Amino acid sequence: MKKIFWISFFLLPILITAQDRTPRISITFQDKTLTEVVEQLGELTDYQFFYVPQWLGTKVTSGNFEDVELSELLDFLFGETNIQYHVGPDNKVYLIRNQTIYDELPTGFFGRSPLLGDTIPVISESEDSNPIFLSLDKEDGPSEIKTIRIGKASSRAGNKKYTLTGFAKSNSTGEPIPNLAVVVKGGEDGAVTNIQGYYEIELPYGKNTLITKSLGFGDTETNVIMFNNGQYDFVLNESLEQLEEVIVEGSARTNVEDATTGSNQILSEETKNIPLVLGERDVLKVATTLPGITTAGEGAAGFNVRGGNTDQNLILLDGAVIYNPSHFFGIFQALNPFAVKDATIYKGNIPARFGGRLSSVFDISTKDGNTSNFSAEASIGPVTSNVVLETPIVKDKASLLIGGRGTYSDWILRSLDDEALNNSEASFYDLIAKYTHKLDENNSLSATAYYSKDNFSITSDSLFGFGNRMASLQWDRKFSEKTKGQLVLSNSQYDFDIEFDGNSNQDFELGYTINETEVKLNFVHILNDKHTLDFGVSSKLYLVDPGDRSPLNPESTIESLEIPREKGLESAVFISDNFKLSDKFLIDAGVRVSVFSALGPSTQRIYEENQPRNETTLVEEREFGSGDFITTYAGPEFRLSARYLLAPDLSVKASFNNTFQYIHTLSNTTTVSPIDTWKLSDTNIEPARAFQYSLGVYKNLQEDMYELSLEGYYKTSSNVLDFKVGADLLLNEEIEQEILQGEGKAYGVELLMRKNRGKLNGWLGYTYSRSFLKFDSEFREERINDGDFFPSNFDRPHDVSLVANYKLTKRFSLSTNFVYQTGRPITFPVGSFNFNNSEFVLFSNRNEFRIPDYYRLDIGLNIEGNHKIKKFAHSFWTISVYNVLGRNNPYSVFFLTDNGEVKALQSSIFAIPIPSITYNFKF
Amino acid sequence: MRIGVILRYFDSIFSMGPILLSLFFVSCVETFEPETEVFESVLIVEAAITNEDKRQQVLLNRTFRLEEEGPNPESSATVRVVDDQQNEFVFEEVEPGRYLSVQTFSAVPNRQYQLSIATSDGRTYGSDSVSLTPESQILDLYASREENSNGQDGIAILIDSQGNQSGTQSFRFEYEETYKIIAPRWVAVDAVVIRERPSPAIIILEPKTEEQQVCYNTELSNTIILGDTENTNQNGLTRFPVRFISRDNFIISHRYSILVRQFAQTREAFAFYETLNEFSSQTESLFSQVQPGFLNGNIFSQEGESDNVVGFFEASSVTSRRIFFDYEDFFPGEPLPPYASDCSLEFTPDLLPSSPGGASPLVQAINSLRQKYVEATGDDNRPFVLVNRPCGDCTALGSNVIPEFWEE
Repeated sequence: MKKIFWISFFLLPILITAQDRTPRISITFQDKTLTEVVEQLGELTDYQFFYVPQWLGTKVTSGNFEDVELSELLDFLFGETNIQYHVGPDNKVYLIRNQTIYDELPTGFFGRSPLLGDTIPVISESEDSNPIFLSLDKEDGPSEIKTIRIGKASSRAGNKKYTLTGFAKSNSTGEPIPNLAVVVKGGEDGAVTNIQGYYEIELPYGKNTLITKSLGFGDTETNVIMFNNGQYDFVLNESLEQLEEVIVEGSARTNVEDATTGSNQILSEETKNIPLVLGERDVLKVATTLPGITTAGEGAAGFNVRGGNTDQNLILLDGAVIYNPSHFFGIFQALNPFAVKDATIYKGNIPARFGGRLSSVFDISTKDGNTSNFSAEASIGPVTSNVVLETPIVKDKASLLIGGRGTYSDWILRSLDDEALNNSEASFYDLIAKYTHKLDENNSLSATAYYSKDNFSITSDSLFGFGNRMASLQWDRKFSEKTKGQLVLSNSQYDFDIEFDGNSNQDFELGYTINETEVKLNFVHILNDKHTLDFGVSSKLYLVDPGDRSPLNPESTIESLEIPREKGLESAVFISDNFKLSDKFLIDAGVRVSVFSALGPSTQRIYEENQPRNETTLVEEREFGSGDFITTYAGPEFRLSARYLLAPDLSVKASFNNTFQYIHTLSNTTTVSPIDTWKLSDTNIEPARAFQYSLGVYKNLQEDMYELSLEGYYKTSSNVLDFKVGADLLLNEEIEQEILQGEGKAYGVELLMRKNRGKLNGWLGYTYSRSFLKFDSEFREERINDGDFFPSNFDRPHDVSLVANYKLTKRFSLSTNFVYQTGRPITFPVGSFNFNNSEFVLFSNRNEFRIPDYYRLDIGLNIEGNHKIKKFAHSFWTISVYNVLGRNNPYSVFFLTDNGEVKALQSSIFAIPIPSITYNFKF
Repeated sequence: MRIGVILRYFDSIFSMGPILLSLFFVSCVETFEPETEVFESVLIVEAAITNEDKRQQVLLNRTFRLEEEGPNPESSATVRVVDDQQNEFVFEEVEPGRYLSVQTFSAVPNRQYQLSIATSDGRTYGSDSVSLTPESQILDLYASREENSNGQDGIAILIDSQGNQSGTQSFRFEYEETYKIIAPRWVAVDAVVIRERPSPAIIILEPKTEEQQVCYNTELSNTIILGDTENTNQNGLTRFPVRFISRDNFIISHRYSILVRQFAQTREAFAFYETLNEFSSQTESLFSQVQPGFLNGNIFSQEGESDNVVGFFEASSVTSRRIFFDYEDFFPGEPLPPYASDCSLEFTPDLLPSSPGGASPLVQAINSLRQKYVEATGDDNRPFVLVNRPCGDCTALGSNVIPEFWEE
């Protein structure tokens, strides 16, 4: 019965309420388990006990106490167990299982010294070795300091430094703990664990005291006696503190100490307090509150990063590309928020191991499943529900995480009275599964599979669907303490299809598919204390089916059409060196050489040089056989970044990088549409390229409580795509005749202020940025705006975002977002005219006007479920109001001719305050 | 396939978009009064000469500000069409902005035509050379009771056509619809005011002097209707919907006739019209708007590129067909669509003014020409029952002259 008390991501406290107020205790128990005794004690007294029942075991005990102190009783109860107790303020008693490593018991556990001899050998074998003397006094209270020794004392030790490496993992879930600070007490040296929980620290010969610090885990102190290089793994208990809904701190000083410019990390857990529309937790939406990342508007799919188009972002989920991570045009993200661990966004210097897109990398990783216990997390919202289940497969070694999400909008539609609407359909769902297996100390394997699907039809005669499919397999291997390798195999697919089944005999179905398979091998090698190398190779095969159409039934007169498949091979070798020139000066210099080949079979149309591409300038159609290399593009991509520490908490960074992109979206709409297609570079369409220069200053204040950063960038790009007016893109066999390639220019300054701790936390960002495009040619049809630079569709100079969270009590917290953005540029008519018995508007130059500025305020209240005894699940309510001010933010402005007259219309997506309530629970 | 084609098929989807969204997301689409920020005065040319022997027509207009009312005709221009054998057809302005050829002529095959325009401000414009498109046939034009994509019941006017061009056949359709109107509360007499003052006014009933029971009205199409065979394996269109009339539309209440004119178009002309269509109906795709831009036709300024002109000059083979049908043919025994005006509303104004020296409400109602007599009440204070004028007088909605082509 007690088995239902699981722990999941953090320690689930069991609160025992008491009526009595006397500090002295009288209690009698006979053949009771410790859990039962603790419960009894809780009922008798005013103390609240926090513990995990399994830890107390099933051993029975008996006793009779009259008028004793609590500590006397607890000493009796736990004296022969590995449970430590700590009596905190407010009569709270924490029962904590001790860390057991190397089967040693902590020093002083049984009163004092008896076991010291076993754990701390003091060896002095020869004169030139410096003996280590330990002072065996002090250390009282229940929080004992454990001592471990690394290696055997050797006679050649001297004053050398040794390397201690290891992992930090959670005692409860077995998951690695990234960003854990491992600091030498009283010294300045320290290390931070990486994403795998791995750390490495140099320690002098002899006794050192290591302190670990991380939010969410209890601080520890460990005495480490270094005799040689060695390994020590920290197994940490998650701290009770995490119950408090604070925004979890990332690594303390990475923003100052990293060499990378323009990178941000978002932890999924962080996002749960941020009020979002319809109560949807959304890492990617939160990303848009960071400087430099915007969308074309509310509900628009895709991101514009530092003035780049939406197709210039590499969105990776566990290493594999996701082409369209959104549902319902962009209102919802297509990633299960409970399955996502974090997202790291590179918008400045992109590390050399990534490539293929011009503007940014969104590196999203999913959680590893819980290897010790079954756990689940779910939410029920007004439009969608999410669930994630985690279960160990092989205890402490292998686990499986599966997640699903769906909407009930279909059901809502069907239950409507309106005939037109209850025939319609709008549904979406996504599924994710991840298997992780730690094969041995040095090898681990993980596999992720993901599927998302959207369907909608609003009229009875059409059905529209799009979806992503992805699978990745990752093998991590540690070759030595200094060399680690990673092999990733992935396959991704995006497709959409349209079925039209109307009254006329033009019924058809239409489909588009892009599929890519990549293999990537990546090594990290620590050469010495100055150089860390990151190098590898990758190769990716694209298969694009640019469109096929077929009649839906025998009556249909629609002709079958299939645009021939495009193939491309994109490969790269990359190496980067994290070079520590001095304590202050760090350089990350990388180069990536990428090669793209368009592969046959294919028919390439060759046009006259320096002429606009159209039927009349077509010279020949050149045939290429299967596997022929049609055309190959290659080039070096430099990724250079440097950091100089002016003070331990103040740094300057600069970077330069260039990127290539061999795949382009074809879209003649002003914002992203799910039927935008991707096209590979070929004879006529050259790869796009970009150069970016950035410079920034980073400062942390008050022990990293505040982070400030100011970063500027200048970016140019070439061969970016646009299209002739009224271009036909879908199922166009001569698509190159519609394509224009031009240049882009973007610059901006981004200011970010974060407060990481305290009752009030959050961030405030301000960006001033511009983004321009230019399409010039000597031919009128290939020019836009007379060949001058014009603002891009996503040029929004001023952008202010505030995300704040205020903790009222342990159970209640208030959060708010505020967003202000300059309105996006639009092409506005320069007049109306009469034609064909009706009125039309005339458009002229692109993007000369803007829709009104955008602003929005959201407020959310988060309520933790109460901490009742025998509670099955931990629950969490989010009540939020999106767009509290009811601001009617125009999304687009358009003109239509209706019954011969021009109507000017303005649309907005969320024009009034939208309340929502979401229930989350986990167990 | 043109994305426009897809979008056209999906017009209905996107027009429903806002409604669907409003369910979940409280979106809203609202009209606003646009103001021109930067005005560009651009010459608009509408010029399609045909293979019909007639006075060919060229329409010249200019753009006007968004906040103004159109049209803005371009007067006093010199308009000519020249063929490759140096035959010149001169046009004259018959009403502001409307230019007809002085002589009748028809475009003939295998000849190149060019349009040239000189406006009164001295600017000159010329078109590319065009030749007459091959003739096409209307195989059948028929009405059919259908549901449209929004599930609405009504009459679809469908066409089967065949082209003779090589490759894709492109058609543009125009129609002229004529329908019979029967005033539902017509009576043979009219109330006529003999004496207004002094009170009481004298009003008598007199037989109507003109036909007010049965009328006819003709309307021209004002949408761009395009059909092509690009995606099909045929050289013509089958069951192509030219027009859809909801069963609630009163125009099909009695007898209806439609004349459809089919223009065989070049791909370039088709693309021009299609882009214009896309820009003016794109619109409702709430989430993704087609990128609008300057509409390039085949007419250019002779002075330089900076002087914009919009228009397409084409020489089209045209063919036409007319059909008639009755409401009873498709909706036998079913109630008629609601009339254009609410005829259940009855008014009984007082004969006597409410204050001494004031006007008689009944006289005012009759003289306003907005209401018509239907019957007497027997009450001396409120002697007549009046209804909205269209209910008793069909000339409010059409002409009482039977069109020449009309067949019963």
